[in-house]
Amino acid sequence: MTDLALLSVTDAADAFAKGEASAEALVRASLARIDAHDAQVNAVIRLDREAALEAASAQDKARAGGVALGPLAGVPMMHKDMYYRAGRVSSCGSKIRGDFRPAVTATVLHRLDAAGAIDMGTLNMAEFAQNPTGHNAHFGDCHNPWGLPYCTGGSSSGSGAGVAARFFAAALGSDTGGSIRLPASICGVTGIKGTQTRVPRTGVMPLSFSMDNVGPLTRTARDAARVMTVISGHDPRDPTSAPEAVPDYEAALTGDLRGVSVAVPREWFFDGADDVVVRGFEAALEVLKARGASVTYVACPSLRAIGAYVAVVSRVEGATIHANWMREHPGDYAIHLSGRLYGGYAIPGTHYLEALSRRGALLRQFCREAFAGHHIVATPTLRMRVPTLAETSIDADPANWARHMAISANTRPFNYLGIPTVSLPCGFDDRGLPMGLQLAARPFAEGRALAVADAYQRETDWHARVPAIPAAP
Amino acid sequence: MPTDPTPEMMAAIRLWSGVDCPNPAGARALEDFPALIAEFEALRGTMLFEDEPPAFDAALRAEQEPQA
Repeated sequence: MTDLALLSVTDAADAFAKGEASAEALVRASLARIDAHDAQVNAVIRLDREAALEAASAQDKARAGGVALGPLAGVPMMHKDMYYRAGRVSSCGSKIRGDFRPAVTATVLHRLDAAGAIDMGTLNMAEFAQNPTGHNAHFGDCHNPWGLPYCTGGSSSGSGAGVAARFFAAALGSDTGGSIRLPASICGVTGIKGTQTRVPRTGVMPLSFSMDNVGPLTRTARDAARVMTVISGHDPRDPTSAPEAVPDYEAALTGDLRGVSVAVPREWFFDGADDVVVRGFEAALEVLKARGASVTYVACPSLRAIGAYVAVVSRVEGATIHANWMREHPGDYAIHLSGRLYGGYAIPGTHYLEALSRRGALLRQFCREAFAGHHIVATPTLRMRVPTLAETSIDADPANWARHMAISANTRPFNYLGIPTVSLPCGFDDRGLPMGLQLAARPFAEGRALAVADAYQRETDWHARVPAIPAAP
Repeated sequence: MPTDPTPEMMAAIRLWSGVDCPNPAGARALEDFPALIAEFEALRGTMLFEDEPPAFDAALRAEQEPQA
C-alpha cells in the first residue's frame, strides 16, 4: 500500500472522502515520518501528537456519521510557530516569546479547522520571521531534506522542509520578503503569497504590516489552490483584509496555456545569477511554451526604484515593532537578527514615507512595463544555487552578511508590488539541490499564477520527487 | 557624506531611538547604507507632490487583470 504520508493535500482529502483512508491513518503516517527523520531535519518545534490523533478520530466519526466534509478533511498539517491559537505557546521562533500564550486564534487557523484540516503542531522558523536562510539560534537550524548541510530557506524554514520531507501535506508560512517562496524554492515544494491583503492576518505575528502575507507551502499548485480558497477572503477582525470575492482557485486549473503570454524582465532578476540557475529557468520556459504559452523578454526600468524602496519598508517597520526589546534586552536575539534590526533605526522617516508613497505609482508603472499584453511575469526564485548553512551564517562570521542578504533579491520586489506570486520546483542544480520558478500575476489574479504553475506541473515531475533523507546516526 | 558615516549613524540611532549597536553584525548592517543612500539620491525628484501611501490600495484594484 502507498505510504499515506506521500499523498498530496488533494489526494489525501480525496482518499479520506472516499473512505480509502482514515484520518487517523493519515495522521499516523505523518507522525511516523516525523519520528523517523525530524532529528536530522529539525522542522518541528512542537508536535501535538495526542491532540492530532483525537482530531483525526473526530473526523473519522463525523465521516462515519454522514456529516458533510470540508475540503481539507483528514489532511495533516503543521504551521509556522507564529499563527496564534488561544492559550497555546507561540514562540515566533524566539527566546523572547518562548512562553507567549496569545488570547486569540488566527483567522486562518479557524478557517483551516472549519475545512477539516488536522493541526498537528508548530514548526521551526527564522526568529521573528526575519532571515532568508533557516538559521535559528534558539531552536536549532532547520536542515534541507535534499542535503542536510544546506539552507532550507526562510523564514518559513520548517514549513518548506517539512512539506519536502513528507512530514505533512501542507503548512502555512508567511512572506514579507520571500519567506514562503524561498523555502518553497530551496526545498523543492510549491508556495504562494497572495495579493497584499488577500489573506487576513488576524492572530498572526506581525513583522512589517505593509508587506506581511499569509500563504501555504504545499507539494503541488493544485494543493496550494485548495488551501488558498479556504484561507482567503475578508475577515471583519482584520479591517485591512480585501473585500474582493474569492474564486474557487482549483476550479480554474485547466492545464491549458494557449493564449497565455509570459513576460520575462531583462533587469534585476538575472544580475549575477549562477549559470545553472539561468539554464534551469530557460528550460522551464520551454515547458510553458510546449503547453501553449508565449514568452517575451521585456524592459522593466521601474525595478531599480522598487529595489531601493523595498529595502527600507520592512526594515523600518520591523525595527519599530522591536524597539522596546532592542533597548531592553538585545542579547536575547540571535546576532544576525539584532544586527539586522539595528540597521532599521538608521533610516530616516522621510525615506520610509517616500518608499510607501511611491508604491502605488510604481505598481502602476511595473504593470505597464511587464503586464501590458502579458498575463504572467516569470523569473528564477533565487539567483544563486542553494547555499550551505555555514556559508550564510552571520552569527559565525559577519563577513557572510552579503551572501545571506542576497538570497531574497528576486523575491523582495513582489512584496513591494503586492502582487500574487508563486514559486514551484523547476529542477535541481549541479549539487542536487532544488531550483525554483517564480510566477507573478496582476493583483488578485492568484488563480492565473496557480493555473500556470499547475500546467507546468502536469508536464514535469520535479514536485513529485521525494528526498532520500539520511538515517539518524 | 563622511568617508565612514558609521559613527554618525550610530550616534543618531542612539539619540533618536535609545538603541546601542548590539554586535559587529549591527555595524556591518550600517555598511550597506552608503549604497542605499546613493540609490535614494538617484531617485530624487521622482516623487510627486500628490503621492501618498493610500494610492497603493487604489492601484491594486485599478491594475487587476481585465475580465475576458
